Amino acid sequence: MPSRRLSPLLGLLLILALVVTLFPVFWIVMTALKPPTDWNAVPAVWIPAKPTLVNFRTLFDPEAIREYGVGGVSQSASAAVFGSLLASTVSTALSILIGLLAAIGLSRYSSGSTATPLIILSGRMFPPAAIAVPFVIIFSAAHIIDTYSGLIAIYVAATVPFSTWMLKSFVDDLPREIEEAAMVDGQSRLMAHLTVTMPLIRGGLFATTLFIFILNWSDFMFALVLSYGRIATIPVQLAKYVTATAGTLYGVQAALAVLAMIPLVLAGFAIQSHLARGMTFGAIKR
Amino acid sequence: MSTPKLELVGLKKEFADGSVAAVDGIDLAVEEGQTLALLGPSGCGKSTTLNMIVGLEQPSSGDIRIDGRSVVAVPPGRRNVGLVFQDYAVFTSMSVRENLAFGLRVRGQRKAEIDRAVGEVAELLGLSTMLNGNARDLGGSELQRVAIGRTLVTRPAILLLDEPLSNLEAGTRLATRRELRRLQKEAGLTIIYVTHDQVEALSLADWIAVMSAGKIRQVAPASLICQQPDNIFVASFMGTPPMNLLRGALTRADGGYVFRKDAFVVGLLPGTDIGEAADLPVTIGIRPEEVRLCASGEAGLPARVLLAEPRGSETVVTLETGGQVIKAVIASDHRPTEGRDVMLEIDAASLVLFSGETNRRLPMIAELRA
Repeated sequence: MPSRRLSPLLGLLLILALVVTLFPVFWIVMTALKPPTDWNAVPAVWIPAKPTLVNFRTLFDPEAIREYGVGGVSQSASAAVFGSLLASTVSTALSILIGLLAAIGLSRYSSGSTATPLIILSGRMFPPAAIAVPFVIIFSAAHIIDTYSGLIAIYVAATVPFSTWMLKSFVDDLPREIEEAAMVDGQSRLMAHLTVTMPLIRGGLFATTLFIFILNWSDFMFALVLSYGRIATIPVQLAKYVTATAGTLYGVQAALAVLAMIPLVLAGFAIQSHLARGMTFGAIKR
Repeated sequence: MSTPKLELVGLKKEFADGSVAAVDGIDLAVEEGQTLALLGPSGCGKSTTLNMIVGLEQPSSGDIRIDGRSVVAVPPGRRNVGLVFQDYAVFTSMSVRENLAFGLRVRGQRKAEIDRAVGEVAELLGLSTMLNGNARDLGGSELQRVAIGRTLVTRPAILLLDEPLSNLEAGTRLATRRELRRLQKEAGLTIIYVTHDQVEALSLADWIAVMSAGKIRQVAPASLICQQPDNIFVASFMGTPPMNLLRGALTRADGGYVFRKDAFVVGLLPGTDIGEAADLPVTIGIRPEEVRLCASGEAGLPARVLLAEPRGSETVVTLETGGQVIKAVIASDHRPTEGRDVMLEIDAASLVLFSGETNRRLPMIAELRA
């Protein structure tokens, strides 16, 4: 990687962009550490004088917030955290698996017609809200409403077009010869894809997985309309911190939001080096 | 004659769109230890032929036999045929050693066995010092050696190379050519090269098979194919510049034949028997290397130099004679200036005749003179 000096102007612009991007994160983290009196104080409290973890404790122990004289939280967030982890992980895994097989099939074996990739994508051209209500009816009839399997099914259906298209672009970039070489050297088709294709699109695979996970993790609408209370996810839980007596519990919401960010940030750091698409180029050097 | 190492019998490939046959019924036999180049312009079906031999594509009809046994139903990895791809297809996610070991690992060989074989091949190809390096960091000729090594390690009965020199720089090209020749001798390999570059073909292979439009036009030793093209396609494809081809007629003249096209007249070797071609239209082939220039005033055909294009020690001269334009290749130190009048001498023994109807070469037998 050649080292390049930034011009002062570009550096300034980058700093500005960074401030704009990171400010909401800063604000959320600070709010999560504020006691209830600071939540919506005027003038705004930027950095709490007495930071507290009470908001985080309230997530799992609804009574904790009462020490500040605020009440009305009825439900622990642990079910929602569990629900989000379960639904997002399983649906992401399924979506990537289906998407990868579809991507290889479309890219290498021209499965279906030439229109197949477009048909797959067209599934995503509906606004989700337009299909949410029909799904409520269908899911009720199929008795999978308010179940994790139902939620996972719709997450997979909603994200497969993305995983297919993203992964297809990575497989397309990979010269076909690389797999043919493996086959000529004695490997079966499937093994060639497993031992040669997969490692070479690893960067793309990680990036797509993270993208799909974020989509599932942050879904609000499907989880809201397809659950009646037996299942919960973090975004739905976030909306529940509104009490009759104390209004919106901003601090508790912020605490849950911070919690929700953690897995994404960790995953982002873990695969940081793979996120640059450049990794996948040069599979065959010319 | 022993069974050929590789035999293609009526091999045909039509693609789903059904427009034209990419490979249109070719027959070819390659003996053990032979090197053959499949030479043809792009789109002539040579790559499809290669893919069928390797097993990456299934023929529509016909047979592929290795050591006399049909391999059409055998999957690519089990045919004992190695392929070095034009772009090498080295696995950049692996080290050089892993690349070389790949084929043997796939075959489930023991580690000690693999290490020994990889060591041997690395030695042969001069890769020993870079075995632990990452394939991603290699340059062009090193990548190619890894690609060849990865194939050689599985001891293929037949080695196929797709355009082996085309991605290399001029200097590396010469070295690689030598390398491939040496390898072929040391390992006693049967090698098939696929290329569109006749210089590459002539320098690498002992036999040349010229392909066009899905058909094999001629198979001949590399040393002969330029002198004795079987048909007009081969004559117009081989050689730089290719043979001069003029369409005209033969007429009988004092004990022999002369070829005539407008004012251009050249005599065939006296006593040549051209059989039934006597009164038919013919195309005459004159190799540029067989056209000599002499000073104006000497015996020969008068001509004017239109263009002289030097290319190192030789010069390609374009001449106008008797209303025809022909090219000659002469030594650069005898290069004439453009616009000058010269005399041409064409060696009658080197002339080639093609039937004006079938475009095939006509046999010419010079009668023994009493």
